Amino acid sequence: MSTLSTTESAGQRTQNLARPGRIKWGRIGAYILLVLFAIVYVGPLLMLVNTSLKTLPDFMKSATSLPTSLNFQNFADAWSKANFPLYMTNTLIYTVSATVIYLITAVFVAFPISRGYVKGSGLLLTLYVIALFLPVALIPQFQLMLSLGLYNNPVGYIMLFLVNPIGIVILVNYIKTLPMDLDEAAAMDGCGYFRFVTSIVFPLIQPALATVAVLHAIGIWNELILPTIYLTNKDYYPITRGMIVFQGVYGSNWPTLAAAVLIMTLPMLVIFLVLQRYIVSGLTAGAVKG
Amino acid sequence: MNNYHFGRGRARLAPYLLLLPGFFFYLVIMLGPSIATGVYSFTDASGIQGTTLHWIGLENYREFLFLGQASIDNYGALFRTLVFSFFVTTIQFSLGLGLALLVNQRLKGINVFRTIFFMPVILGAVIQGLIWSLFLYPLGGPLASILGMFGMRSEFLGGQPNEAIAWVIFVQIWANLGVTMMIFIAGLQTIPEDLYEGAQIDGASRWQVFRNITWPMLTPSVNTNLLLNIIGSLQAWQLFLVLIGYRNGTQVLGYLIFAQGFGQASGSVTSAFRQGYAAAASIVLFCLVLGIGLPVQYFLQRREKRVLG
Amino acid sequence: MFKRSSVFLGLVLALATLLAACGSSTSTPAAPAADATAAPAAAPAAEKVTLKVLVHQNPPMVEFMNTFNEQFQAKHPNITVDMAVVNASDLSTVTQTRLTANDVDVVDMFGFSNAAQPYMKNVTPPNWQTLIDAGLLMDISDQPFIKNYDEAAIKDAGSYNGKVYQINLGRVSYSGIYYNKDLFAANNVAVPTTWSELVAACATFKAANIPCMTAGGKDGWPIFVGAYGLIGAEYPDQSKLVEGLWTGSITWNDAKSLDMWAKMKTYAQDMMEQGASGIAGDAAPGRFASGAVAMFPGGTWYASAIDAAQPSFKWGYIPFPGSDNADDNKYLFGKYDQGWAVAAKTANKDAAMQYLSDFSDPANYQAFANAVGFIPTQPGATLSSPIGTEVAPYLANFRVGYEQYWVAPKGAGEFANPFASYYKPFGTFDEPQAVADKVQADLQSGLDANK
Repeated sequence: MSTLSTTESAGQRTQNLARPGRIKWGRIGAYILLVLFAIVYVGPLLMLVNTSLKTLPDFMKSATSLPTSLNFQNFADAWSKANFPLYMTNTLIYTVSATVIYLITAVFVAFPISRGYVKGSGLLLTLYVIALFLPVALIPQFQLMLSLGLYNNPVGYIMLFLVNPIGIVILVNYIKTLPMDLDEAAAMDGCGYFRFVTSIVFPLIQPALATVAVLHAIGIWNELILPTIYLTNKDYYPITRGMIVFQGVYGSNWPTLAAAVLIMTLPMLVIFLVLQRYIVSGLTAGAVKG
Repeated sequence: MNNYHFGRGRARLAPYLLLLPGFFFYLVIMLGPSIATGVYSFTDASGIQGTTLHWIGLENYREFLFLGQASIDNYGALFRTLVFSFFVTTIQFSLGLGLALLVNQRLKGINVFRTIFFMPVILGAVIQGLIWSLFLYPLGGPLASILGMFGMRSEFLGGQPNEAIAWVIFVQIWANLGVTMMIFIAGLQTIPEDLYEGAQIDGASRWQVFRNITWPMLTPSVNTNLLLNIIGSLQAWQLFLVLIGYRNGTQVLGYLIFAQGFGQASGSVTSAFRQGYAAAASIVLFCLVLGIGLPVQYFLQRREKRVLG
Repeated sequence: MFKRSSVFLGLVLALATLLAACGSSTSTPAAPAADATAAPAAAPAAEKVTLKVLVHQNPPMVEFMNTFNEQFQAKHPNITVDMAVVNASDLSTVTQTRLTANDVDVVDMFGFSNAAQPYMKNVTPPNWQTLIDAGLLMDISDQPFIKNYDEAAIKDAGSYNGKVYQINLGRVSYSGIYYNKDLFAANNVAVPTTWSELVAACATFKAANIPCMTAGGKDGWPIFVGAYGLIGAEYPDQSKLVEGLWTGSITWNDAKSLDMWAKMKTYAQDMMEQGASGIAGDAAPGRFASGAVAMFPGGTWYASAIDAAQPSFKWGYIPFPGSDNADDNKYLFGKYDQGWAVAAKTANKDAAMQYLSDFSDPANYQAFANAVGFIPTQPGATLSSPIGTEVAPYLANFRVGYEQYWVAPKGAGEFANPFASYYKPFGTFDEPQAVADKVQADLQSGLDANK
């Protein structure tokens, strides 16, 4: 069997290339830049936390001032009024199943396109790139799903999320960085196509997989208009649908909405933290030797 | 193709068969309805079942592109779309690359920084809009107070159209920078260590390392990001909706199409089901994005072949 | 000999197993699916009916409906009400999809408006007309509960071609001004009944360093809605106004209109406080309730938000005095808000009619009007809330606003409306003549395109 040398992340070491003595200045500079950026990001995010701790009258009186007293009632309200336990479970089911199925099918589309293993792979890639530009076809899509009997049906709803051309483009471009020798060596070792993709390609493209997974999952997680149209049975509602109770035609209950958003964001944040390890885990495609 | 190593005959079919499920979903869920949209654009379809549908040829396109002042306003929206896209793409791309290089170092607490920069992506457009509406509140909001300390004041999102659009550009970049950064980080991971070690032995400067190793080796991520940024910014509408809403002189094409499709059409508050007209408008946007995106894609592919061989 | 993290191996294995499952076209079971198939199957056997109701999100309304639904179900044990709430902006789309899917019985619909008139050329009919023409809404003309409502409300907001398709539940007015009673008293300002009195009042407040007016200028529409009184002062009959604009007997740059534009300039640039262009629509009531501002032009629906922000705050509500003749300023302009319509294809017609009938019961309707704060459309009902008392003297003079009649000709430009928000700082214009000419040119462009 061939030896696959997986090297440590190179990018992480570029820093060490700087000559000694300068390293520290570089680090300090980097930290200063990072902190400046972080302020631009954390500052506005704190507004959300600030809002979630206010009572509605306080918020209406002065939206941006600090709360006079900490009010955690919004979190309790958000939890009960938006029917969090059930709807959050639904959201989790939709997000996880659609993301997992999508990822698998996507790799089996992206890999042969990237490698030219199917005829017309150039055309296929063009089709997917064009798909990036395609207009949202809400009503025709609805008419199609209705005639297929997939309206008000969780399986049909999940099906809506099994396509995402952005993911294909990311994967195709990433797979190009895997050396071709890899395929040859694996095939010579008697590895079949399916096994090669599942047991070798998948682990080697984890940074891209994790990126696509996060992007795709976020899209499903935050989706509001599709469940509004496709899922009319309350047992199927995802959490975004439950959060409508805090909005209103003449003004929304922003403090409770902010609290609900914070609760809703937590699981996604955890997923991101976990997947982030794969993006920068340092296990990368190296060269095939021997 | 002769470079396929995983057998011949029936075994040769494996990539085709395994590609089918993904491609099937693509055809049914995405391409089919989009083609239907293309067909609708030549009709007076209302989108309501039971109404008769008439073939009206290019009438919808004529209305969108050539009918009265409204069509001239549409060109205004087109121009704003291009300006918006130009600034978002260039700034988001460069900042994303810089940020990826920054957070790709071994520094303490770097995970925290990465997560912070990615947070807005997780929140979604409605909340991004709320956050910035509050942050940019002109009467005693945080940024107004900071500017006030320097004796400046701004109307922010409620200001003159150009000022408001500038703020949407800012928030759009703020919100999506995390994605660009992530894709670059993933790309940086693929650059083999030995290349850097070689450069170190040759005594290359940091700039030389970036120019001769990092930049060419990042080509696939560069392609992905450029394409995604261009397309994403050309199609953007959500932040326009949550940050500005309907205001003359601020709309971009994506927002106009949303307003049409959801019966919240321009100035006049009439809401009518005009699926055909909305379809024509979205086909125009499609052609625009395609007209810009495909040449870019072609150029990027050629460059990639040159750089990576 | 591959180095890989064991965690990831596990993930890959999991993916591989799932792939086998999804080969048979995504039969991945989502948990609730099982209950779904079971429930409807059991329903017909017990002769039970599930009535599907669609409403838009308006918190006091939804709260009232939840209580009403409980009472209704207690009274009619065989009927279960399944009420779905959607955002107002999605209501039209969801009405369309659910009617198409025959997945709804009773639909919440805004009062019929913007009908295509004979003098309008080449316009697309509004949503509700398309739905009726497509045979998706039920003709409820013969239902006894229709008689509980004002004839005018049924005729103006619920009828089409002589048949009734909607019972409208209430009106809102948007052409009034909230004023801060304490500030008025402290500065010895009388409540203005004419335009010059309003100008003078603002001058007094400004001299005392009190901002005269606030509004949610960031959203644009609160500024022009606040100035409705100025349109109404010039053109009290707003359906005639729309006809005049279409036929050319009225233009947005004629002498009468120029007077309106001049007043709008004063309103947008002298009366509105600095920074109003950045205040969001739903932040404006809070800004007014903080007590810092003397007046707040806005719709009747803001009253509950003002009270919620500052319960002890003392405010009053007057029609916007747009004219120098006090008699011209006694009108309130507004629109019909939500109403009920029934799906023509409903399998539960009896239950749906029972639902509307129970809802229309005067005692229940009164409770509804109290909860939601609409100006009632049932003659016997009164609005007992503070805003109700304030608007009571003008109710006989309620008029439907221009916005509910206007249909823009295709091709008309984006400025073809009488909106005060075109002025700086909300818009880009500074001179009344320039605004007037631009607005008329944008309208004329559409009229010419459809000759």
